[in-house]
Amino acid sequence: MRLVALVLCLVAASLVSAQEPYPTRPITMIAPFPPGGVADLTARPVAAAMEKALKNPVGVVNKTGAAGAVGMQFVATSKPDGYTLLLALSSISIIPEADKLFDRPPAFTVDQFAPIALISADPTILVVPAAKPWKTAKELIEDAKKRPGQISYSSSGVYGTLHMAMELFSHATGAKLRHVPYAGAAPALTAILGGHVDALASGPAVVLPHIKSGALRALAGWGDKRVAALPDVPTFKELGYPDAEFYIWAGVFAPRGTPEPVLAKLRETLRVAVADPDFKGAMDKLETPIVFKQGEEFARFFEADARRLAAGVRKVGKIEAK
Amino acid sequence: MVETLQNLALGFSIALSPPILFYAFVGCVVGTLVGVLPGVGPLAGISLLLPATFGLDATRAIVMLAGIYYGAMYGGSTTSILMRIPGEAASVMTCIDGYAMARKGRAGAALAIAAVGSYVAGTVSVVGLMLLAPPLASFALRFGPPENVALLVLGLLVLAYMSGGSMLKSLSMAALGLLLGMIGIDQMTGFFRFSYGVVELGDGIGVVPVAVGLFGLAEILATAGLPAPPRVIQPKLRELLPTREEWRAAAWPIGRGTVLGFLIGIVPGSAHIIASFVSYAIERRLSKHPEEFGHGAVAGVAGPESANNSATSGAFVPMLALGVPSGAIPAVMLAAMMVHGVSPGPLLIKQQPDLFWGFIASMYVGNVVLLILNLPLVGLFVNLLRIPYPILYPSVLVFCVLGVYAVNGSVVDVWIMLVMGALGYVLRKLDFETAPIVLGVILAPMIEMALRQSLAMSDGRYAIFVTRPISATLLSVGLVLVLLALRPLVTRGLDWRARLAIAEKGEGEL
Repeated sequence: MRLVALVLCLVAASLVSAQEPYPTRPITMIAPFPPGGVADLTARPVAAAMEKALKNPVGVVNKTGAAGAVGMQFVATSKPDGYTLLLALSSISIIPEADKLFDRPPAFTVDQFAPIALISADPTILVVPAAKPWKTAKELIEDAKKRPGQISYSSSGVYGTLHMAMELFSHATGAKLRHVPYAGAAPALTAILGGHVDALASGPAVVLPHIKSGALRALAGWGDKRVAALPDVPTFKELGYPDAEFYIWAGVFAPRGTPEPVLAKLRETLRVAVADPDFKGAMDKLETPIVFKQGEEFARFFEADARRLAAGVRKVGKIEAK
Repeated sequence: MVETLQNLALGFSIALSPPILFYAFVGCVVGTLVGVLPGVGPLAGISLLLPATFGLDATRAIVMLAGIYYGAMYGGSTTSILMRIPGEAASVMTCIDGYAMARKGRAGAALAIAAVGSYVAGTVSVVGLMLLAPPLASFALRFGPPENVALLVLGLLVLAYMSGGSMLKSLSMAALGLLLGMIGIDQMTGFFRFSYGVVELGDGIGVVPVAVGLFGLAEILATAGLPAPPRVIQPKLRELLPTREEWRAAAWPIGRGTVLGFLIGIVPGSAHIIASFVSYAIERRLSKHPEEFGHGAVAGVAGPESANNSATSGAFVPMLALGVPSGAIPAVMLAAMMVHGVSPGPLLIKQQPDLFWGFIASMYVGNVVLLILNLPLVGLFVNLLRIPYPILYPSVLVFCVLGVYAVNGSVVDVWIMLVMGALGYVLRKLDFETAPIVLGVILAPMIEMALRQSLAMSDGRYAIFVTRPISATLLSVGLVLVLLALRPLVTRGLDWRARLAIAEKGEGEL
């Protein structure tokens, strides 16, 4: 008897919750990278601003591992109810492509996600140590063509975002460089500052202080516009290489199958959130430009970017041991 | 020099202002807790608390986070000494002799020596940080992959000195550790190795679950397997403090550990944890009584504890002077600075003197706070040993599982810890030492990565290791060590290891 009553109670509760407006309980935003990384540093102000707009708690949980695959897989397979969201970076489109390359069961696929909104997009820029002879991108490209595979660059890891940026550059310009992967963007920067490699593609914020101090020289950017903080640095597009376009971006996703009213609510919330002065202040401090796109616009950006990256991964192919 | 003193005075005026003092204190307390909890290390502690600092101003946030970092290094020794459970990975070596001291009723002395050693190392290395940061940082940057290979190979040679028993046994344990370290994504090609479809294994086998399993769980299992429970230690108040002889035995190891830890700490990309391993090996090599190591040698506690503390200050050198992280923890702290709009970089000292000197001064203050905090706690912690085993060990087990889970929120890590616990138990029964496994797990991925990066830099030419001056020097030192180790073969004399074997045999017969 008691059991029946309990079951009835549960059923009643679930019926009520189905009709309740979203959200009624705390929302979790998964940052698939450790605290202090770009994903985490973007997720926290986004979550805070969403919390303000929704008047409902939004917590950030770092679920890290396997270059983000663990956290992304977690969201891909979680209940599509709008209570588990993902703050993903460009690598979301790279990981499934790399899985395909190695014939392994993919940790997740991009169509397991419903894109909600793009928060920021930062073009990478090409830097070299100031002691190196190349003053312009053109000089570097010509030198690299003269001695293919002799000029080296560091990256955040194989098939990582910084690797992909350089691969797109190589493919667009025909300059072949030698890849020395590191375990993360920070050690890759350390390597170029120590003069152990000759070039690096990096997000502008982390290299700006070193460009200002004169340790590094910026040659060109991957964006469709010049970086505001570096007005003298041309884009590859201007230099005649329109295919070398690449952004480190951050966007919010939900698991595919999340009901449309919930998605609409989330889109609206994020639109309010990015206009929040506290959020703007936080992103200013990170020197990361807010680039907000939602709905169709974001979907198009996401698809174009995923296509570029998939092509990039395929071009790199499997790296065979030499 | 005058300028430095003036700057330091400015720093102290900031560090001693009540709000900064408060946050330094909070950081130290949290750090001590993080260090005491098995599994949860400084990285996990800082990562968990980073979001809480977003509302503070930059100086307060940095002072608090740094407090957590070096506070954890103090706290990590506590459970190592009392229960043979490494509070964080750098305390693995302290488990061996610290716990042996505790079994002999010298837990209080071991804790006090660890605290004082940490204090001396912390304070002296901050002086180093203050005076030498800019020149040392540029030197540290010259450590690229080839130099790291040389340094890590030196670290591997150290294995030979680490444990007392049979060389064959300790090398086979090291090989097992190196093999375990091969699990995970191949950083150079993106292949998953030995992961069997478990995504979490892509990151490899973590040091924390291995260390907690092999040391802590194995100890608990071994105790449970005893025919009669071991006598509960009843520490007496007057036995809490180290004796004069113990202080004397600790003095030089503390000094050597401090210098060594600082130097290893500044090298970007190298494992700061190896500072404590190398210190242990050096102390054992230099000791007049190497046979005491593993059975409660004071130097085996004093050296590694000092080394891991000064390595933390060393790690701040490239971070503050150049804005370059030398490891995972400084990287998180750099991110914390960026969140507050401070762009870390070579201009930090000039542009933000308040932050830089306030930070330096707060580290002096923080070390004093930790000493004051830790010495009286020695009496309290030692009393944990009075708890009867049927209550103590199950609760410790719970804390181990919680701590290991908390680091990555990964059940896979908990399983790794449990498997390692069982493995550690079996190996103990068979008289194998487990510390080389931990060192192998730490070193394998680093050596492999650095080796392959070096070869990528040189397009496959091994000459890169001998044409670069720093790596050539380090490798020559390694060669000399090997030759020295071979000497007994030539002179047919008994080395300390052989003497030790004889001594242990004698013990067994008694």
